[in-house]
Parts: sequence; C-alpha cells; structure tokens
Amino acid sequence: MSAAVERAPVSAAVAGTGSKPTQKPPQLMWMAAPSLIFVALMVAVPLGYAIWFSLSDFRMGNAVTKFIGLSNYTRMVADPLFWNGLKITVLLYVLAIVLQLVLGLYLGLLMNRVTVLKQLVRTILISPFLMPPVVIGMMWIVILDPSLGAANYLLELMHLPPSDWLASTQLVLPVVALIDTWQWTPFVALLVLGGLQTLPTNVYEAAQIDGVSRGKIFLHITLPLLGPTLVTAAILRSVDLLRFFDLIYITTQGGPGNASRTLNIYSYQRGIEFLDMGYASAMMLTLTTIILGFVFVLTNLKKAVSW
Amino acid sequence: MVSQSSSRRIAAVSTTLQVFAVAVVLLIPVIWMALSSLKRPGEVTRYPPTVIFDPTLANYAKLFAEVPFFEYGLNSLIVSVVSTLLGLALALPCAFAISWHSVSWPATIALITRMAPGTLFVLPWFVLFSNLGMTGGYWVLILTHTVITMPLALWVLLPYFDALPRSIFESAFVDGCRGVKCLVHIAIPLVLPGLMVAIILSFIASWNYFLFALVLGGIDTKTLIVASFNFVGEGATDWGRLMAAAVLICLPPLVLIFIMQRGLISGLSGGSVKG
Repeated sequence: MSAAVERAPVSAAVAGTGSKPTQKPPQLMWMAAPSLIFVALMVAVPLGYAIWFSLSDFRMGNAVTKFIGLSNYTRMVADPLFWNGLKITVLLYVLAIVLQLVLGLYLGLLMNRVTVLKQLVRTILISPFLMPPVVIGMMWIVILDPSLGAANYLLELMHLPPSDWLASTQLVLPVVALIDTWQWTPFVALLVLGGLQTLPTNVYEAAQIDGVSRGKIFLHITLPLLGPTLVTAAILRSVDLLRFFDLIYITTQGGPGNASRTLNIYSYQRGIEFLDMGYASAMMLTLTTIILGFVFVLTNLKKAVSW
Repeated sequence: MVSQSSSRRIAAVSTTLQVFAVAVVLLIPVIWMALSSLKRPGEVTRYPPTVIFDPTLANYAKLFAEVPFFEYGLNSLIVSVVSTLLGLALALPCAFAISWHSVSWPATIALITRMAPGTLFVLPWFVLFSNLGMTGGYWVLILTHTVITMPLALWVLLPYFDALPRSIFESAFVDGCRGVKCLVHIAIPLVLPGLMVAIILSFIASWNYFLFALVLGGIDTKTLIVASFNFVGEGATDWGRLMAAAVLICLPPLVLIFIMQRGLISGLSGGSVKG
C-alpha cells in the first residue's frame, strides 16, 4: 500500500490536451479538505495531547497536571519492564517476519502453479486474515488448551509429550508467532502471487532457451525480480508485528509472567489499567517512532531493490 | 516426449498435494471451531476429543438466551456500516482530488495514520471524549473506527482513480461539470469495482476492530468483538458457547469474502504491488 508514495505524475504532460488552450485544469484540492480536517481533528490533535501527556505527570482524575520535562523518558530507560517489552517485541517480530516471508514466498510460488480450483483455493487463502483477531484467539485458546485441547491429543497420537503451549514461558512467543503466521502467510502469498504475474516473461524464455536450471532461474531471476514485492510485504507485516496487540491481549494478556508482554501490551496496560497515562504515552510515542523508523528503512530498501 | 509429459504430470500432482496440505492447515482450525460450537457441554470438553457426535444448536440458543447477543450484533452492525459510509464519504473526494492533481502527501499522511499503533490514540481519545461526554455512545466508536476505514478506502481507491483516463474529466470540465457533481456522475460509476472492494474491506476492518471499542465502548454500545472477549475473561470454559459466538462473529466477513472473492483479491494486491 505504498503505491501512492512513489506515484509518478501520471499524465501531467497530457493535462489539457483535450481542452481549449485557454482552459486551465480546475483546482480540485478542496475536495481533499474534509478528510484532511478529519485526520487533523481525530489524529493530529490527539497526537499533540499524547506528546503533552508524555512530558507531564498526567493521570486521569488528578486535579493538577504539571510539566515534568523528560522524566517519563528517563523513567522508561530505567524500567526493566520497558526493556523486556522491547525485547519481546523484537523477538516476536524477527520470528514471525522470517516465517511469514519464507512461507509466503513458497506459498505464492505454489499458487502460481495451481491450475485447478484456482478461485476456491484463493478464497481459502484470503479467509484467515480477514477473520477477527479476537476470534482467531478464541479458536486457538480452545485448540491449544493444555489439558483438554485437540493439539495435545495430536501430540499424544504421535507419542510426543503434551505441551503447555500458550501457558509455557518458553513456548508462548513461538506459539503466538505461529498463530500470526497461520493467519498472515496467505496475505504475503497473495502479494507474491500478484508480483509474479507482473514479471517479464521474455527473461524466462531466454533462460529456458539457454538451458538454465530451475534452481538457478529461481535464485538469479525470480528472487531478485520479486525483491520489491517482498519488501512491500515486509513493510506491511512489520507495521502490524511491531504493534502486536489483539491476539496477545486475548490469549495471554502478556503472560505467563512477562513472557509475551510486548511493548504495545505493556504500555496499554500502564495507561488504561493503571491510568499512568503520562508514562504510557512516552512509551507509545517511542514505539511509534520505532515503527516509522522501520518503515523508513524498508521503504529505502525497496527503492534499492527496484528494477 | 513421453517422459516429459509424465514428469509434467508428476509436477502437477505434487502441486495439487501441496495445495491440499496448505488448505488443510488453514481450514482445520476453523472447522474445529465450527464443530465445537455444535457439541453438547459434556461433549465439547471430552478428552480425547471427538469428531463424530450428535450435533446440536443448543449453544447458539444459549448464546441468545443468556446474553443480549442480538443487541451486540446490532451495535457492531451500526458502527461498521456508519464508519464504512463515513470513511467512503471522506475518501472518495480525497482520492479524486489527489489523483487529478497527482499529489501524494495526503495519501502519505493517511498511511502514517494507519501505521501508528491504535494504543497511541486511544489514551488521548479516552480523555478527550470523556470530557466531551461522548464515551459510551455510538458516535465515539463510529468516529474512531473511521480512522481505520478512511485511510484503507483511500488506498484501495487510489489505483482505480489513477487508472482513469484524464480526457474524460477534461471534457466533463469543459461541459461545465464541476467538483462533487463530476465525482458522483462520472468518476464513481467508473471506479465501481474498486468502490465495492473498498466497501467490503472497510466493513470487515471495522467489524473486526477490537481496541477502540474495548476502551471507548459503553454497556449499551458493546460490540460483538468486545462481548466475546468478555466471555474469554469469564474463565469458566463454556467452550461451546464461546465457539458459537466465534462462528457467528466470523460469518459476516466470511460471507462477504465468498460473494466478492474475485474483486477482493485484485483489490488487495492491486494497491500494494503496483508501486
């Protein structure tokens, strides 16, 4: 969804060709005003408040709020739970994004070869990521229940020891990453499939005539040409993974212990459950900066791999 | 030639088998959820789990009898429909204008809005809307959900507007067709496929959204998503009722996906891959 950022001035040169030479193209920017005003009121104003909260000792219900400078930020740097949240966020991010890009690439290539029941298979693919995360969470809570869940029964059938899944300190992050991968790999695959269909066919014909092996074609032609598509997928998934919330809030609320308490979950809980809003805002602004930093780096990477 | 065609057949069979395996992995959990919703209380927590059982709709009946599930559904529907319409009313003229002028910064602003974590806005909103006395009402949910639907609709619609030939509008402008009239009578009919995709994706995004309704919703405006989250919190594993709720919440998005499958896929990948 970064198309418009790089949108070429589509037909600036063609502008006015159909009209009389005296006719100036009408000014229509005012039509963008309602949505810009909406964004200003609903997003820019609250953002200003969030910045103010982060510089104050604001607490809902307190009579006086005073400016405390960067104290919330120094408190953050000294808070082991902030660093734990950051660590969990990064671990979950790395685990999930690698899984989703690799499996998404595989699934996209696979889908490109499908000839029968194409439409049905694609419909199955778009279903998981358009289902509510809350429902996905409920579904896996039941399947992964340590004592009565179907997952442990499957393990039992394979003569493997039962697992605590989401209740295990060691496993909770990989399990959450896998659930997210279950939900979002099809999305990456659809992007890859769209990317594959825009690739120039003449390169492949030339390679086939030259007798290049299939492995080499993949490594030296398909993969580099898919670069921009994969980075686009990485951008879209990064944004969601770095602010991971719904699924964890439903399944573990950050537990067991702090094993799945991502930065987003931790700052939400500080802000809403403890009404510690100044401090929570400082952490959320930090997280937002991190996300936009990732997007900035990846957007530049996309320019570097474009062809 | 014979060996080539047989190796091609092996490749086709292997592709089919792999696709089948993927479909199984994707569908089994959802099927399990649906099956669990049809089991009796003793059956649903039976271990080892059963696949063959006497199905019942008792869980669904219980859902509507024990909690105001229908009212929750109506709340979800009101919020999703109105925020979708509002999002489109804002995004359509915006997409038209920025496509005509080939400017991208409003779209970039919308994109950044979409990238910030919802938790960042929810604290100030909570404070601001509480001061305005709006928390617990429908409008607070509609307005906050429009922050999700508007950028989404804008991004889905832009490539469709960009693809329209400029000359159409130029002759319309010469004929004196202006602004909103031109958008409604000329542009919208031409971007109708994109508009349908934008409507469906916005509706699903708003229907599925959790956080804003969790914090800003009231007892009377509780959405299905928040209500079912409360079931999870209630601890006692009434799995049958939980899974019945899950199935019902999934139904509107899934039905829409099945109706709109073809358009959705091109709409989903169109906006993101073209750049």
